[in-house]
Amino acid sequence: MNDKKVKGLSKVENYYQHYGLRAGELNKEGEKVIGYICSFVPVEIITAAGCIPFRIKGDVHEPITKGDNLMETIVCPLVRSYFDLCLKGRYDFLSGIVIPHACDSMVRGYSAWNYSLDLPYSYFLNIPSVVKESSFEFFNAELNNYRRGLERFVGKEISDDDIAGAIRLHNNNREKAKALYEFTKPEVPLISGTELRKVLAVGLSLPISESNQLFDEVLTEIKERKASPGKKGPRILIDGACIDNYSIMEIVEGLEADVVTDTVCTGTRDYWPEADTGIDPIDALAIRYLDKINCPKTYRENRPGTFEGDIADRFGDIGARAEEFNVDGAILLVYKFCDPFGFEVPARKAYYESVGIPLLCLESEYSAGTIGQLKTRIQAFLEMIG
Amino acid sequence: MAEEQKKKKKRRTATKAASSIGPMVKDFIVGTNRIRAEGKQKLAFTFIVCHHEEILRAMDVVPIWTENFAGICGAKRDAERFLERAESLGFSRSLCTYALCGIGFDHWREELGEMPPDAPWGGMARPDFMISTGQILCDPRAKWYQASQQYMPDVPIYNMDMPYPLYDRTADHREVLGYYHKYVVKELRGLIDFLEKQTGKKMDYDKLEERVELSDKTWNLIHETYELRSASPCPMGTGDAMNTMVPMCFMMATQETYDFFTGLNKELKEKIAKKEGVIENEKYRLLWGGGLPSWFALTDFNYFNSKGAVFPAETTYRMVTPLDEMDLPETSDPVEHLAWRWLGYWTFWYDKARKRPGSEPDVERLINYIETYDIDGVVMHEAFSCRTWHVGLIWQLHQLAKIYKPIPVLYLGKDGKQETGHRELPSLILESDIIDISSYSEVDTRNRIDAFIETLESVAKDKASVS
Repeated sequence: MNDKKVKGLSKVENYYQHYGLRAGELNKEGEKVIGYICSFVPVEIITAAGCIPFRIKGDVHEPITKGDNLMETIVCPLVRSYFDLCLKGRYDFLSGIVIPHACDSMVRGYSAWNYSLDLPYSYFLNIPSVVKESSFEFFNAELNNYRRGLERFVGKEISDDDIAGAIRLHNNNREKAKALYEFTKPEVPLISGTELRKVLAVGLSLPISESNQLFDEVLTEIKERKASPGKKGPRILIDGACIDNYSIMEIVEGLEADVVTDTVCTGTRDYWPEADTGIDPIDALAIRYLDKINCPKTYRENRPGTFEGDIADRFGDIGARAEEFNVDGAILLVYKFCDPFGFEVPARKAYYESVGIPLLCLESEYSAGTIGQLKTRIQAFLEMIG
Repeated sequence: MAEEQKKKKKRRTATKAASSIGPMVKDFIVGTNRIRAEGKQKLAFTFIVCHHEEILRAMDVVPIWTENFAGICGAKRDAERFLERAESLGFSRSLCTYALCGIGFDHWREELGEMPPDAPWGGMARPDFMISTGQILCDPRAKWYQASQQYMPDVPIYNMDMPYPLYDRTADHREVLGYYHKYVVKELRGLIDFLEKQTGKKMDYDKLEERVELSDKTWNLIHETYELRSASPCPMGTGDAMNTMVPMCFMMATQETYDFFTGLNKELKEKIAKKEGVIENEKYRLLWGGGLPSWFALTDFNYFNSKGAVFPAETTYRMVTPLDEMDLPETSDPVEHLAWRWLGYWTFWYDKARKRPGSEPDVERLINYIETYDIDGVVMHEAFSCRTWHVGLIWQLHQLAKIYKPIPVLYLGKDGKQETGHRELPSLILESDIIDISSYSEVDTRNRIDAFIETLESVAKDKASVS
C-alpha cells in the first residue's frame, strides 16, 4: 500500500520487503509496467512512452523450481531466479518485458521468456558487443526500432522531447543516488551499505518521479541522522555484476566493516553515468548505454597496446571509486556460469594488484545455502586486511 | 588423468569421406606450426561460422581455429591438463571449456617459450593476431582472446561484431535488416583494413570474389549432399557428420572442400543405389536436435548404431542453408554479399516459423528435419560449460511437444479403416561436456541410451498394432 505517512527509509524497507508492491498498485490503476533485466535497457524510453520501467529482481531465498522446467541449470543463476519468479507470478503486474543482449543466458533464454510469459509487449534489444563508431550508428538505429515498438504498444508517438524530458528525470535520479553515496564517505559512514543498496534497488521499481521523491526523503532523513550505523572498520568496495541479494553487505557489516562503494550493476555501474543533454536524445542514450556503462560484455580495443595499459583503461573506474571512497579492500562477486565476468577474473585480479587494493574473489551460486560459506571467507579476508 | 581413461578405440565411420578427416585435421594443425616456423604467412586465431573465411583466404592469412584445437584435445582425451592450468590462473571451471583449454595451452606455451610437452599433434601455433567475434550469441567469442592477451600482450585483436536480428513473432525481420546489413558490412570492411595493416598487403577483390563464388557453390553442394541422407536406409549418420563438419567449418572457400563434398556426394549416391546404410537393420531414425557433441565420446554414436538407431540429420554444425532459398539481394560487391549471406543464414527459418503459431526458428528447423528425414526420436546434448548452443534446448523440446506432437496423424488400421493417433516423438537429453571428460560417465550415458531405445521400441510396437 502507498501509505503517504510512511516516508524515507521506512518506505524503502516496506517496498524492499514487498518488492513490486507499488508497481502492482499502479498497474491496478491502469498504468503499464514494463519489466526489464540488466542495466543495458534504456529505461528513459519506457518512461517517455508513459510506462513504468520496473527492474526485475531475483530472490536468493526462493528455490528455483518452475523455471528449471524450461531453462537449463547452466544458465546464470541470477537470470534463472528472475525467470522462475516471473513464471510463479511474483511480477504478474507486468504488461511487457525488455531483455537486452547482455549475455548468452539472456539471448538464448529469450524465447522461453517471450512464450512462457506471453505478455502483450516483449522486446529483445540488441546491444553491440564492441564500442566503436560503426556500433554507435547501429545502436542508434536499434534504439529507434525499440522506440517504434513501444509506440505501437502504447498507441502514441514518443517524441524527441518526450525522451529528452525522461532523460532529465532519470539523470536527476542518478544525481540523487550520487548524493546518497556521499554519506558513505565519512570515516564512520552515515548510511550503511545495506541501507544504501536497498534504497537504490527500490528506486528501480518505482516510476521515476516517485523514485526521485523517495531519494529526496532519504537524503533528508540521513542528513538529520543523529546516530550513525557505520562501524569505523575496514572500508570495502563490492565489485561484480548485478548484486540484488544484500546478504553479502549484511555479512560485511555484521563483521564490523563498512561497504562504502561498489562497481556493480545495481550500484555505480548503472547509477553514475548520466545521459548527455543538449544533443539528440537517441544519440545521448546510445552513448550512455554503449560507452558510459562499463560492462565486460562490451569489448573495447586495447589502445595502449600493453596489458597494464589495457587493464588501467578497462578497470580504471574501480581505482577511481576506491580512491574517492578511501577503500581498504574489495570483494569481487562473480556468478557461476557468468562468461562475461568470469573471463575477466584474472585480469581484474591483476588490476587490483597493480593499484594495491587487497581483493577477495568469490564465486556465487545465488543460493541461500551458500551464504554461510561466503561468511567464512569474508571473515578471513577482513581479518587479513583489518 | 588415468592412462586407461586416455585410451579409446578408433571410431568406426560409415563413409570413406569421414574416415579421411583425421589426417586432414592433423595436417592442418601440423601445417600451422610449419607456417609459424617459415614465417612467410600470417597466422590468425579465430572462430568458425563468421563468414570471414573468404576474406582470410583472399588475404593469404592462415586461420587457426582455436575451438578446433580444443576439440582435438578433447577427442584425444588430453584437455584436462590445460583446463587445470586455466583454473589455476583464476578462471572458473564453469566457463566455456574450449576457451579454458585454449587459454591454458597458450599460457603454458608462452611460459615455456615452446610447445607444452607432448602437445596434441604438435600443439597450437602462436598467432600473429586474433580475430574475435562478438556475435548475438557466444560471449566467450568476445572474451576469450581478450583473456589470452594477458599472456600474449603483443598480439593484437580485431573484434568483429556480427549481430543478426533475433526472431520476433510480431514483426517482420526485413524491417530491420537494412541497418544490420550496413553494420555487418562495416565490420567486415574493418576486418579487411585490419588485415591489410597486419599483413602489409592490399586486398585483391577479384580473388575475394572468386573465394566467395567458390563458397556459395560449396554451400549448395553441401546442402544437396546432406539431403541425400534422408534416404532409407540412411547412408551417413551424425557420427560421420561430426567429421565432415571439418571441411565445412574449418576449410570453407577452398577447392579442397568443394572436392571433398563432391566425393562425399558421389559416395552417398552409390550407397543409396546399393541400399547400403550406416547399419544393416535400421530400426530407428533419430535427429541430433541440438548441442555440441562430447568430442571424447563420439563412439556413443556407434553405440546408438548397435541398437539399430541411426542419425540421418543433426542441427549441430549444419552451418549452411540453400542459397537459392535465401532470397539474397543482388550485389556485385563480395563484402556486401557476405553480409547478406550472414543475415540470410541466421534468418533462414524465420518466415517458416511465423506461419506456425507457437513456433520459433529453432523449433521450426527441428520440425522440418523431423519430416524431411522421417525421424522417430530426438536426441540432444547438454554441455554444462557452453551456454551458446545449450541454453534453450529444453524449451525447444517443450515447444515441439506443445505445437507438433499433438497434431493428429491418420493411420491405416488393420481392417483397412483409417484411425487417428498422435505423433509420438520420444526425446533424450544427454548431459556432459564438450571436452571436460570429468563430467562424463559412459555407464550412465549408455544406460540412458538403453532406456531411450526401449521407449522407441514401445512406440514402434504401438504404431505396429494400429497399422
